[in-house]
This record gives sequence, C-alpha cells and structure tokens, in this order.
Amino acid sequence: MKIPSMLQRQLWFALFGVALLLTFGWVATRSGPLAPTRVTVTRVVQGEVAPALFGIGVVEAQRAYLIGPTTAARVRRVLVDVGDQVRVGQLLAEMDPVDLDERVLSARAAAARGGNAVVTAQAQERDARSRQEFAAAEARRYRDLGQKGLVSQSVVDGKLQDQQSADAQLAAAAAGLAGARRELARLDADLRAVQQQRENIRLAAPVDGLVTARDAEPGSTVIAGQSVLKLEDPASLWVTVRLDQGRSSGLQVGLPADITLRSEPHKPLPGKVVRVEPISDSVTEERIAKVGFEPLPPGLSTGEMAEVTLHLPGVRNALVVPNASIRYQGTQPGVWRRLNGRLRFAPVTLGAEGLDGNVQIVDGVTAGDEVVVYSERDLQDDSRIKVVSSLAGKPQ
Amino acid sequence: MNTGVGIHIEGLSKRYGVGDTAVDALREVNMRVAPGEVVGLVGPSGSGKTTLLKCLGAVIEPTGGRMTLGGEIIYDNRWKISDLRVLRRDRIGFIFQAPYLIPFLDVTDNVALLPMLAGRPNAEARARALELLKALDVAHRAKAETSELSGGEQQRVSIARALANRPPVILADEPTAPLDSERALAVMRILNQLASQYQTAIIVVTHDENIIPTFRRIYSIRDGRTVEEAGEGRLLQ
Amino acid sequence: MINLAGRDILHSGGRFLLTGLGLGLLIGVTFTMAGVYRGMVDDAKVLLNNSGADLWVVQKDTLGPYAEPSSVHDDVYRGLLGLPGVAQAANVTYLTMQVRKGSSDVRAMVVGFEPGQAGEPGYLVAGRRITRSHYEAVADVKTQFALGDRIRIRRHEYTVVGLTRRMVSSGGDPMVFVPLKDAQEVQFLKDNDAIVNERARTAANPALNRPGVPGLLDAIEASQNSNHNVNAVLVRVAEGRSPEAVARDIRRWKHLQVFTRDQMEGILIGKLIATAAKQIGMFLVILTIVSAAIVAFIIYTMTLGKIREIAVLKLIGTHNRTIASMILQQALGLGLIGFAVGKIAATLWGPAFPRYILLEPGDAVRGFVIVMVVCTLASSLAIRAALKIDPATAIGG
Repeated sequence: MKIPSMLQRQLWFALFGVALLLTFGWVATRSGPLAPTRVTVTRVVQGEVAPALFGIGVVEAQRAYLIGPTTAARVRRVLVDVGDQVRVGQLLAEMDPVDLDERVLSARAAAARGGNAVVTAQAQERDARSRQEFAAAEARRYRDLGQKGLVSQSVVDGKLQDQQSADAQLAAAAAGLAGARRELARLDADLRAVQQQRENIRLAAPVDGLVTARDAEPGSTVIAGQSVLKLEDPASLWVTVRLDQGRSSGLQVGLPADITLRSEPHKPLPGKVVRVEPISDSVTEERIAKVGFEPLPPGLSTGEMAEVTLHLPGVRNALVVPNASIRYQGTQPGVWRRLNGRLRFAPVTLGAEGLDGNVQIVDGVTAGDEVVVYSERDLQDDSRIKVVSSLAGKPQ
Repeated sequence: MNTGVGIHIEGLSKRYGVGDTAVDALREVNMRVAPGEVVGLVGPSGSGKTTLLKCLGAVIEPTGGRMTLGGEIIYDNRWKISDLRVLRRDRIGFIFQAPYLIPFLDVTDNVALLPMLAGRPNAEARARALELLKALDVAHRAKAETSELSGGEQQRVSIARALANRPPVILADEPTAPLDSERALAVMRILNQLASQYQTAIIVVTHDENIIPTFRRIYSIRDGRTVEEAGEGRLLQ
Repeated sequence: MINLAGRDILHSGGRFLLTGLGLGLLIGVTFTMAGVYRGMVDDAKVLLNNSGADLWVVQKDTLGPYAEPSSVHDDVYRGLLGLPGVAQAANVTYLTMQVRKGSSDVRAMVVGFEPGQAGEPGYLVAGRRITRSHYEAVADVKTQFALGDRIRIRRHEYTVVGLTRRMVSSGGDPMVFVPLKDAQEVQFLKDNDAIVNERARTAANPALNRPGVPGLLDAIEASQNSNHNVNAVLVRVAEGRSPEAVARDIRRWKHLQVFTRDQMEGILIGKLIATAAKQIGMFLVILTIVSAAIVAFIIYTMTLGKIREIAVLKLIGTHNRTIASMILQQALGLGLIGFAVGKIAATLWGPAFPRYILLEPGDAVRGFVIVMVVCTLASSLAIRAALKIDPATAIGG
C-alpha cells in the first residue's frame, strides 16, 4: 500500500491516531462503570387514584343439594341427567324396593290380624260384661234374700264371690280389649313406617334446580349419605374470591366488582360483594369474600376460575406518582427526588394504590417535585444521572 | 576537513580458521592511497579483495599488519580504536554493489542520516544532504521515495550518502556492477571529481573492464597478495 | 535524529495498521474473556444486592437457595419476625425454567416475591410494579419480552407489566418476577395431565377412596394439590443490628441454615463460578501467550525483512541500541494500536454477548501494562536476531 507522498501518508496516520484516541475516550467515558446512570423523570401531580382489590376466585353454587337414599339400597332407575332442569317434587330417581313391598304386605297382614284381635277382644269383653251383669244382679238378689234370712250366708257369699269374679273377668276382658287396640295401633304404625320407607326410595327434587352430577347408575349400590344426584340452584351461583390478607383493606359488603371469567377474558361481568366470610384462611393468609353476579349470566359452570376486581372508593386530590418510582431503603419507602440538580432519597408515606400503577403519596413530597421513575441501576445520593425520555419497552 | 596520508596499509594479513583447514585470504598486503586519489583494486573472485575491504572497513579483524586511515593508526596487530562503529561512521564512507538505500527514508533523509548519527542537528544534516545531492545532480529528487528513483539516481544518492560525513576514506565495492558503460564512466567521473574536491582517498574494487582504464594506479590482488601497477588514467571528457 | 521506527511504520503504511487491527481483535477477545469473568462475579453480586436481603434462611444442611435446592415451609417467616433484630422476613421462591411467549421460549429464573418485601426488583426501566395478586409479571429486558406481552409459565398466562435490568441469576439467566403464590404453584404443582393422572391413581387406591367415607377422596386430592413451601426466607436486619448476631439467633432453630451476605458471596463465587473462573483463567493465559507469539512473529518477520538495511545501518555506524530501540518501538507501537483497538472492540461487541461483560477501568490499565510487557518480551527475539546481523555482510554480498 504505497501512497505517493510521505506527507499525505503522515496525515492519514495522524487522522487514524486521532480517531483512535477519540473513540477510545468516548468508549471509556460513555460506557462501563464510569458512565452516568440513565434515568427518566416525571413530576408529582395532583390526581385521582382508583384503588381496587384483586383476587382470584371460583364460581360456586350458594345452595347445592346431594340427593340420595336414607338407607343402603340399590339404584333402580335414574330419571334425569346432568344439565336437566327439574321442578320441586319432581321424581328424579328411584331405589330398588328389594323386600320393602313384601314387608308392607307383612305389616298390612299383621295390622289386619291386629284388627281381628281387637274384634275378638271386644266379643270377650261383651261376654264378660254380660256375665258380670248377671252376677251382679244375682248378688243383689241374694243379698236381699240374705238380708231377709231366706238363704244361708254362704250362699250369699257365694253369689258375692261370683260377682267379684265376674267383675274381675270383665276388667280383664276390658284390659284385653285395650291391649288389642294398642297392638293394632302399633301394627298400624309399623305399617306406616314401612310404607314411608317404601316412599323414601323415591328421590324427589327438593327445589327447582339444575342437575349437576349423576353419581350412581341403575344397579349400583349406595349407602346412606352417598349421593345419587347433585342438584344446584342455578340462581344461586356466586364467586368465592380469595384476597391476600395484606392487600384487602377496605373489603366490605356492597363493593362493586368486575368479574372476569377464565372462559371470557375480555368480557368482565358486573357484580357486588354480598358477603365477607367471618373466617379467613390462616394457612394461605387470605380473606374470603362472596361476590354475586349482577345480573347472573346464563350458562355459567361451577368450578370455573374468575379474576375479580373490587373497586374501592376513589381518592381525589391526591399527590400521585407511578409506582415504579417508589424505591425502598431498608423497609422505608421513598422516591428519588431531584432538587436543585442534586439527587436525594425522600422518604414518603404511601396511601392508596390503583391497579393501574398510580400510587398516592400522603406525605413526603409536594406537587411539582421532580422524581425519578425508571433507572438503569440502583441510585445513591448524588449519583451522576442523565435524563432520557425512555429506557426500554414499548409504552403500554 | 581531511588531513593526513589517506590510506596506508602495511603487511596486512588475514587468516580464516586454524590448523590444517586454515585459509590465508590476505598475505602481507601493502597499499597506499593518497587523499584525492582514486585507486582501483582488481583481481579474480576469491582473491581476497572483499576481505581487504572488510578489513579496511573495520568490520572484520585482520590477523596481523598495520592500517592507517587519515594519519591515524587504526590497527597495529590489534585494533587501536576502541569504537569501530564511530570509526566507520565518521571516517569511512561505503559505496556498495547496489545502492542499498534505506527504503523507509526519503532521499534526503537517506543522506542526512549519517550526519544525524554523528550528532548533527536535523536541519544542518538535511542542509548538507541537499548540498551533496545538488553536487550529484539529484537534488530535484530530494523529497522522493527511494523506490521512485532510477538505478543511476539511486547510485548517485548512495554516493552522496558515502560523502555525507566528509570521511577521509571511501571504500567502493563494485560500484558500477549494475550499470552500462556510459553510466559507469559517468560514476567514475563523479568519483574522481569529488575525490579531488573533498580530498578523499577512494579505493574502488572492481572487475568492470569499462572503468579499469580510468584509474591512474591499480592494485591487482591474487591469492591474497597485492601488486601495484600503473593504470592508464584515461577519463573520457 | 529521526525516529527510524516511526519512518518504518509510516512506510509500511496499511500493513502495520492492519496487523495492529488484527492483534487488537485478539486482544479484544482477551478483554472480553476477562470481562466474562468479571461479569459472572458481578452477576453474583448483583443477585445478592438486588434481593435486598441481609440474611438468607434456607433448608438445613443445604447451600441454597442458589447453589442447591432448598425447601422451607412458608410459615417459617412468622417465627423469624418474632426474633429481635429482624425488621423484615419475606418468603421467596426461585426456579430456573423455560418461559413461553407464543411459540418461542426463553430460559429464565422465575422468582416469587411478596410486594414491598425483599426479593422484589429495586428499580424498573419501564412499566409499573405488580399491583394484582396473581398473573402479573415483571421481566428483565434480557428476556426480550415487551410490556403487555402474554407469557406462559406452566399452567397460567401472565401479563408483563414492568421491565427491569440487570436482574439475572448467577448463571446469567434473566429473571421473571411473579407473585409468590403463583410461583409456589409453578414450582410445586404439576401440569394438567399429571394432575389428572394423579387423581386417577388416587381414586383407584381402595385405601384412599373409601365408599363409607364420602369426602375422603376429595380431601386427599386437595392436600396433594396444595403447596406450602418456599425456597428461602429473605431477612432484613433492623438498623444498627449486626447480621451475624441475628444469624446466630436464627441458627439456633435446628432445622434452618442461615447465610450472611459475605457467606452467600463466598458460596456463589467460590462454588458456583469457581470452575468457570478456572476455565477463563486458563483461556486468558493461553490468549496472552498466543498474543505474545503473534507479536513476536510479526516483529521478527518485519525485522527479517530488513536484514540488509540493518546490516547497512550497522556498517555506516548506527549504534546497536538505536537498532534495538527501533524494533522495540515498533513492537510497542503495535501493542498500543492493538490495545486501543482491543478495548474499543470489546466495549462495542460486549453487549451482544449472551452473558454480561463487565470491563473495569482497572482491568484496562492492567491490560495495557501486560500488553506493553508482552510486546517488549516478544520483541526480544527480533532484537536478538538484529544484533546478530554482521555488518560485514553488506560488503561483498
């Protein structure tokens, strides 16, 4: 590479050397640990903060019913299926009567026999009564005769004794009748009981509702307490929401809610807090609230996840900063404030925070203060900073 | 300026090696060159002419004898000068078979290098260089790169370099070897002229038939021995 | 006296500069390797700094949570808060895994944190902090996620609401911050197929699925699918208290291990990056030797190309030391250009590397000194050769 003139070559070399030096200098001061930290700033403004609580929840039915037999039995038939709407009293399923019909017959026969026993006892009582009347009349007559001295005392005693005996027999017969009547009542009651049992194998809907589960098919044996069908009242669906205990201040009944179902993430549904559970979950450290739909949309399924946002009353005329400017020194929150060209950490007291990232500052800065929002690295008092318009990322 | 008796060599010998394989390159060489004189040294190859130049140029050590340059004994069976480099720099000028200019210096600096090595300030060295270049009629190429010069121009620059420190002695080794007859004679003319101008004693080693007639005195050397002869002394123009 | 070295360099023109450029790239690679090591150490320090913790409480007999897996119950922090000197105790989880965005995925460390507590990123470069208790994420810019991106971590999708910088694991993976409960689920719960499979197995087990005890199966499934573990508890010590003293108190709890900041640094730097550090050290040595060899070779070749000129110079009376100085200056000049080019190249291509490259000014100074020393030593070969050149060879040929 020969350049004609030495001077020209010297100039090229000098140019190269200067360029190298300048680049070197630029590189040394602009990058690496010597360079100033780039930050973006904003001013503290007066504005509104819309605080809200956020939690995830599950759609559940307020009222759900387990339909099943009261004794162990085999399922005979199931008349409805999942998704069917049923009316109150509607026959949903039937258990196998097994021996219940025979037992009803037996009880009926026993009751009938009991009736017969009553009739027998009545006849006996009538018989005893007639004997007693006769014995009483005889005793009267003979007493009279005895008083007149026409018969011997032993004959009178004999007749008296007959009367007593007849009295006793009457009493016995009366008691027997009473007993037979009671026995009949017992047997009637037994009959009614078996009939009632026979009725219980008919499973009927206790309310208007929706069948949500069919747990046993005809032929399966279920025990008392097991469900054959599950029913729910579709008008009673609500969302059981769990909120972090630490971020649930202001939770109360009546807060307006936006419910976003997992299946419809772009269509939030309106709702309201209808109940705050008095018992919170101490293991997961969550409070539980029940949020109702207003109005209840059709076609909801229980068990579906939902994200619920509860809107707290807005805070007006608050000093607002983006929450990205909140930094912590130890446990003390604060902002990096630029005052007279110097960077200083200003401890603040935080107020309400909106879900959009704006946070209220109760105390520590004044409106119009310039604070650092984004920075390339941690800041220190009097760090060298360079303000730029943005550091990274598309604006939201 | 130059004083003294130019070059005076007495009984110079140089033996390479020892014992049976020793070679006597120079045997008892005697030579004398007066200031302003241009003397030829001729002989077949292997005769020792190069060895003689090397001894005179103080780059190899002779085995015996005496050398006197510019009135100063530089060798008398051993070196009498402590710094041979300074001797070469200040007292001897070299002209080689090829110009052997330093390619990364321009023409002026090639010549000015010698005074600079001798400690002269750069401006003075360059001024002297320019003077010599003028004398050799290559001043118009003063700022050029050596590669841009023709063979003859380069040769003249190398002659200027040899003269730059005004040495009393110049040793020229086949200076006309690459040149044609006309150029060769021109070089001899310049050498003769400068020798008498600056009173420099010049030895020219050559076997160029074209220039041998220009010498007034010739030393022929064979097998390490020299014989002085008279030359024709013919200089055209 | 003119500067022979400068003249020779000027004369060779582009060749010398190109050689310097090439050497500079090699030196740049060397700087970059050193920068990789420094970056790894910085990654470790940054990881510890960014967590904002003074103490790390982990599972007993582990070196967790970064060097080894560690698992503690998530209610341990309550007991720690009661100890004197503890200002804050926060649960955190760490899990390195693939995070999906669309059809591509990124290797990241998913960090579960509680807002306002240790473990949360200290600063953002875009967006906002997490305000919802689920399904929001803050990601490091190295993940190349943008604000508003929907990313998938295991079974759920998260919206990127904020971006941060220099939040990396000690392995250089960028961090993605999500709420703690979500992270617990990510780490300890499985995907849908596995859960369904597990349910089927549990239902098929007659000991667990007893018809006489309705509700037992549901309770067992619920317990299988809940998780109450975290990887570590980060403790901030109160003002004026010594972390050592508080750590001693905590260690009395027999089931926990506690590390102070210095100990964690020792673990990360001493164990995690020790192997990599050794490798890099070896590379640096090799690269330095190679650079020295190249400089030696180049200068030697340049000198050999000037044998005749050097012979002539010596003959006409140039001092040996002038010639040696010329060669040395050329070597140093080469080194200077190489150093400048290398430093610039390393700075310019550093950000393109997947790992963080940290070039410290002290390293640059050290590098400069080493380059100069290496060039000096490398030139010795050529200088020796030059000194051996016999000026007599100029005569006769």
